[in-house]
Order: sequence, then C-alpha cells, then structure tokens
Amino acid sequence: MAAKSYNIPELDKKLADRRYHLSDTNPEFTQKILKTSRTIANMCYQCGTCTGSCPSAPRSSYRIRLFMRRCVLGLENEALTDPDLWLCTTCYSCTDRCPRDIAPTDVIMAMRNLAFKRDIVPKNFLQTVQLIYTSGHGVPNNDVNRAARTKLGLPADPPTTHSYPEFIKGIQKIMDHYELKENADRILKGD
Amino acid sequence: MAENTEPRIGVFVCHCGTNIAGSLSIDDVVNYAKTLPYVAVADQYQYMCSTPGQKKIDDAIKEHNLTGVVVAACSPRLHEPTFRTATKEGGLNPFRFEMANIREQNSWVHMHGMWDEATQKAKDQVRMAVAKAAKLEDLVPKSVPVEKTAMVVGGGVAGMQAALDLASAGIKTYLIERTPTIGGRMSQLDKTFPTLDCSQCILTPKMVDVGRHPNIEMMTYTEVEKVEGYIGNFDVTLRKKARGVLTPKEATAKGIVGGGCNGCGDCSAVCPVIKPNPFEMGMAPRKAIYIYHAQVMPLIYTVDFDSCVKCGLCVEACGEKKAIDLEMQDEFITVKVGTAVLATGYELFPVENKREWGYKQFDNVINALEFERLICASGPTGGHLVRPSDGKTPMKVGFVLCAGSRDNTGIGKPYCSRFCCMYSLKHAHQIMEKIPGAVAYLFYMDIRSFGKMYEEFYYRIQHEGAKFIRGRVANVLEDKETKNLHVYTEDTLLGRPVDVEVDLLVLAAAVQPNEGANDLRKKFGVSASQDGWMLEAHPKLNPCGTTTAGVFLAGVCQGPKDIPDTVAQAEGAASAASIPIHMGEVELEPYFAMCIDELCAGCGMCVNLCPYSALSLGEKNGRTVMVVTEAKCKGCGTCGGFCPGGAIKMQHFTTPQIAAQIDAFFAGGEQ
Repeated sequence: MAAKSYNIPELDKKLADRRYHLSDTNPEFTQKILKTSRTIANMCYQCGTCTGSCPSAPRSSYRIRLFMRRCVLGLENEALTDPDLWLCTTCYSCTDRCPRDIAPTDVIMAMRNLAFKRDIVPKNFLQTVQLIYTSGHGVPNNDVNRAARTKLGLPADPPTTHSYPEFIKGIQKIMDHYELKENADRILKGD
Repeated sequence: MAENTEPRIGVFVCHCGTNIAGSLSIDDVVNYAKTLPYVAVADQYQYMCSTPGQKKIDDAIKEHNLTGVVVAACSPRLHEPTFRTATKEGGLNPFRFEMANIREQNSWVHMHGMWDEATQKAKDQVRMAVAKAAKLEDLVPKSVPVEKTAMVVGGGVAGMQAALDLASAGIKTYLIERTPTIGGRMSQLDKTFPTLDCSQCILTPKMVDVGRHPNIEMMTYTEVEKVEGYIGNFDVTLRKKARGVLTPKEATAKGIVGGGCNGCGDCSAVCPVIKPNPFEMGMAPRKAIYIYHAQVMPLIYTVDFDSCVKCGLCVEACGEKKAIDLEMQDEFITVKVGTAVLATGYELFPVENKREWGYKQFDNVINALEFERLICASGPTGGHLVRPSDGKTPMKVGFVLCAGSRDNTGIGKPYCSRFCCMYSLKHAHQIMEKIPGAVAYLFYMDIRSFGKMYEEFYYRIQHEGAKFIRGRVANVLEDKETKNLHVYTEDTLLGRPVDVEVDLLVLAAAVQPNEGANDLRKKFGVSASQDGWMLEAHPKLNPCGTTTAGVFLAGVCQGPKDIPDTVAQAEGAASAASIPIHMGEVELEPYFAMCIDELCAGCGMCVNLCPYSALSLGEKNGRTVMVVTEAKCKGCGTCGGFCPGGAIKMQHFTTPQIAAQIDAFFAGGEQ
C-alpha cells in the first residue's frame, strides 16, 4: 500500500513499507535452486547452525540462514541482489553440521549461478574468470611464492598449468563452452 | 445356507466420501459388477461402514438370499470386522464375506489423473473378490481359555504402574526387570517437572507397593529368554541371572533358617573390587557386591561376577546368614501367562557421536542424566552441582536442547525426544535455586511446552531469570586454561552469531530404545516403527496394543513420552491386558491349516517346516497322518504350500479359492 509522501526523499525512504508481499515471492525460484543445488533447500527449519558455524558471519553481514529463508520463501530479487551472497568462503562447515542434512553451501552456489545469469557478479569474481582463462589459476603464481617454494626445495612453479601451459587450451575450451570468459568480458566492459 | 446351491453374491461399492469416489467411477464399477457371474445384486453407498450402509448388506442378504458378500472399500485391516458383523446380522456365516481394497491399494495411490486406469483396476479387484466369495465356506472361530496371569517386562515407572493395576484387578502378575532393582529411569531423576516433586519421594512408595503386593511376583536381575505360544497361553522362559546372593525366602528353601540377605551391607564394606556405578552414570564407585542406591527394591545385594575376584571376604562378613553363594549359576524358569505388557523404556543416545558438541572430549560437557545425578541430594556430590574438571561450582551453565533430536543426518534421531525442553527448564530452575547468582543459558530451536501446566512452567523459568537464546548450537570449544566452554551459535532472533562462555554445558541428548529392546520385541513378535520404537497397533485408536494379540506396550518403549503420559499409557496397557484375562477365553480366527487325512501320506515333511511348532504326526484310523494344534497355527500357509500331496487345506485361503481369484484376474475381465 502506498504511504503518504512527505516529499522529503530521505524520510520517504526511511518510512517506506518494509513488509514483504506475496507478490515479491517467486515459487519457481525455490524450484530452480532445488534443481541446481541438488540439495533439499526447501527443508530448512531456521535453527541457525549454519550461521553459527560460518567463519564469515562473525566478521561480516553475511547470514547464510537468511539466504536459506529467502530460498524457502522464493524471495528471488532479495537473494540475488544482496551483495552478501558473494561473502561465502565455501568452507562447507554449515553443510557438515546442518541437522536437516541440507548443503547450504550448494544453495549459495546455485544462487550465484542464477545471479550470474542476470549479470550480477562482483568485479573480483569476473577478474578471477579472466585470470583462469589466461593462466589456468584463479590466483596465479607470483614472485613471493616462487621464492618461498625455492626456499623449501620445491620447483618454483607447481606442476599445474604453470609448468604445463599446453593444458591451458583445454581449460579455455571448457570455459568457452559455458561462455564464461565472454560474459565476464562483457559485464566488465559494461561497468 | 444350503449346500450345492448356485452361489449368489452381493457386491457393495463404497464411495468413502471422495476418498474412493474422487479417483474412480463408482457407477462403472457397480454396473460392471452386475455383469459378473453369480452376482445377484450390486449396489453402492457413500459410507458402507455407516449404519445405513451396513443395513444395505443386511437387507440384501435376506432379499436376494445371498450366499456371499463382497464389499469394495478400504483395507480389511480397518473394516473387515465391521462388515463381517453386518454379514452375520443378515444371517450368513461371517466368513462368507470378502473385501476388495479399492482405497489403500487403488484410489489413494492413483489419485492424480488416472481415473480410467483406477476404475479398471477396481473392476479387476471386484471380479477377483467375487470369484473368491463364490467359493467361501462357513467357518467357526475357535475359543481358547486364557491363563489368568500376566507378565510385565520392565520395572520402570511404566512397568510398575502396569503391574500394580493388573495385580489390583486380581490378576497374578510377574514383573520382570533385568537390573537388580526396579525403579528405572525415574529413580535416577532429582525432581520432576512442572510440579518439582522429588522424584524418589513419589516413586519409592510405589516401589514398596510393588514389592508388597500379594499378586505381584517381582523378578529382578531376570531377562526374557524365549517366548512361545499365543494370546491366553504364552510360555515365557526367563533367565534368572546368577545374583550370587540368596533372598531370605531362597535361604529358607535351602534350609538356612533365619538366613538370606537382609541388606546390611557388611559384604560390600569388605569387598576389595571397585567399579563405576551405572546408576550414578559412572560418577560414583560401587563394589563387586553392590546395591545401586539406598532405596533399591528389593533390598538384596548382587554380585557382579564379571568383576568379582572370588576372594571370599564377603562370604566371611555375611557369616551365619549364609546369603552369599559365589558359585551360583543362571537359572531358567518357564512361566505361563495370558497376556504381556512390554515396558522396556529408553536410554540416552551416544551424544559423543555429534562431535561438534565435545561430549567425552571436554571435561565440563555432561549429558542431562549426569546433571540429574549431580544435582540430586542422594547423588555422588550430595546435591552440590560441581563441574567435573575442578569440582568448582559453575555460575554460568549452558543447556543444549535438541542435542541429537530432530536430526536427519543419520547420526542423531529424526524425532523430537519430547521431554528434553521441559527437563532443561527444570534444570535451569534448579541451578538458579541452588546457586545464588547462577545464570542458565538455554540454546533452543523451539520450546515445546505442550502439557498441562507446562507453558506456565516456561513462563515461570523465564521470570526466574533464565536466558533463552534461539539458535541450535553449531559447535563448542574448550578454553584449555580455564576449561570453560565457548558455545557458538547464531541468535536467530537478532541475526547475530554468538559466543557464550559457560562454566558447564549440559546436553539434552536424544533418547533411543534401550539396548536389548529390539531382541525382546522380536521374541514377542512385536514390530518396530520406522524410528526404531515398538510399533503400536494403531497410533490413535489402539496406542497400547500391538499387532500380536495379547501383547501390549507401556511407556517410552513405544515412543518418547514424559512421566504423566507414561503412567497413563501404563494404566491403559494394564486395562487392555486384563480384558482377555477377565473374559476367560479368546476367539482365534479360524484360519488354521487342516489335514485331509485321506490324502496325507504321513511323510512328516511339513512338521519341521512349521515356524510355530503347530504340527505333529499322529495315528488316525490306523494310519499315520499329520495333526494340527489349531491354537498354535497362525495360518501362514507354509505347510499348505509345501505339501507334495496337496493334503493340507488352509482354511479361508484354500487352493480353489486362491486359484479362482487368479483365474478371474487373468481369464476374466472385459475382453
């Protein structure tokens, strides 16, 4: 319901209706998450074990329980546009401990996939895509690392695409199949 | 009914409201039934089980001179008795009735968009039922006398109550308990919610009543070894475990005048072997010759032969009473009982399996039964709550609710353990009452205070200052210096992660069936439900009965319940168990095997196949033939299916009847 306006933008924003309405919910969103995450995301009973286990929660505004709630209710926009979605470290502590045997981490991954489809991805994630495309590594080797490895008696470069660059082509082929690099370039360019 | 007449069958199709009529065409089925051979009348009604529905059967039998009745409705488990009665009212033998289950086996499983297929299936079912009904025969149930004694297995509050009720109703009752004393879990508790009655104070009088009751034969330190027979006539073999100590009665029987154990405890005082006392959750010592606690019933010592070194000091200390026999062996006794009540109770699930809460890793994490013993005035600390690491009084105590309950991971239990919320509230009250300034933190998902005066108790405990944090505990870490515990969870109401440092943490562990309960229920032929507890006959309408006639359930062995519910169920089970005994005889369904003597070759191969030992060989008219003890036969059909000569007839499931059904299915139908 539209509230009376005071014609003061700041006040209007403060006094805006914060209730969620059934029109904000999209039942298909829950179904999409179930399909993509392959976990019984609709079965969350909001006990808080996930957030209690989360290493990100004490130091950020990220609350995985809230994302589970949004999934159950189908609050698609609220879930996909919340920048906290990208604060999960994917440590899987919540998945280990969830008493309903849900994998909340996989729910987050599913939501990130759906957000990507709407071009909602933080810059650093897109830059990681570009790095993987060019080097095969999200975090490529650097001089500090090389020195540390040499000091430990290891080869300066690990036995990955750094030592076998001929395999980068294969990685690129996979990424091209999903148009990952293409989309990352496009979104970054648009910014 | 005259023999040799053409069968005349009446078919009645039930709508069951929309349960059946909503998924298939009743009219089509009725019209189809009219075309079937032998069908004299076909009709339908909204609820066949109602009085007008049953009247239809009654009237049709008389009007059409029917020889058999078919009702196409729900499962025979629900309404076979109803329609048998209606058939009998109409003047037919009640076993002239056959049921086609078109609800559970049809409409309920073909609910969505399978109208034509479901209708077709219902027609098949009716055709098969009619084929059998045409071949049904008159049968007469067999009555067997009921032994006027009962048995109660388990001496906790449920078993004690059931035994007292049965005994007070004039029935001799054996109360079997596998530990050395009756009392069960309730005797381990300090106080009971929500009244805060002292548990021992209200239980001990009952224990004494049980011990004194002239109709109760209390057998402690005894286990059920074997169960044979059936309702009215169970032969139960008991293993009376070697106790090493004679009761005054046993001593007198052995000619030791004035001897036997009087509970003085002189033996225990000199015993050199020290073991943990399971009654105190292992937190206090006991000797190899011991009693659990001062109020045990019977007050007779027990030798733990697993730890006894047979030094003989106790025998010397006992002296002239000559109560101790260190060479005692287990004894087997068989008793005959009419009915039995199982009341085997529960144990805590091994909460250390949920590793994140640190039980058995950190000193100051204890389970709720350990808390009960530590706060109990007769417990190892005299009721002074201390923390295990340093014996100090805890000022901040955390309570982890749903510790393993409501857990679908496969490690915990999927069900709610039902009394943990309430006893944790009670625990919170106890620490705040006993330790001035102490604070209780309850970590919960939901507070389920469902019973009479329970929600009021929750209100009271919150008023007393307990802190409720809505969040299931994610993990617990120990401060290595102070041995304090950090409890991590999310305050889901604030949406903030919390780290609460407590001195002592109590886990309200989930409950599970007692060890051995599974073996016991199999001996009595009782099923288990999906969650492992014993299965009642019907969750709403027969919660004390089981699918084995004459065997009843009381207390937590059937599912978690608090003391009021346990006692109520025990009284229900006792009442149900007393009915057959007071009736004096029970009717057995006449489904037993019958030997056709002319065909029997007397080979005896069926005798060993019978799982119920109901068959034997005997002489009849100078020939050796098989003889059925009808009361023992359950009509399983093992012998009938095997007999190479086709000499065994399974009543109500005869070969011609079953063959007719199969023929009707394959050969009949709309071509």
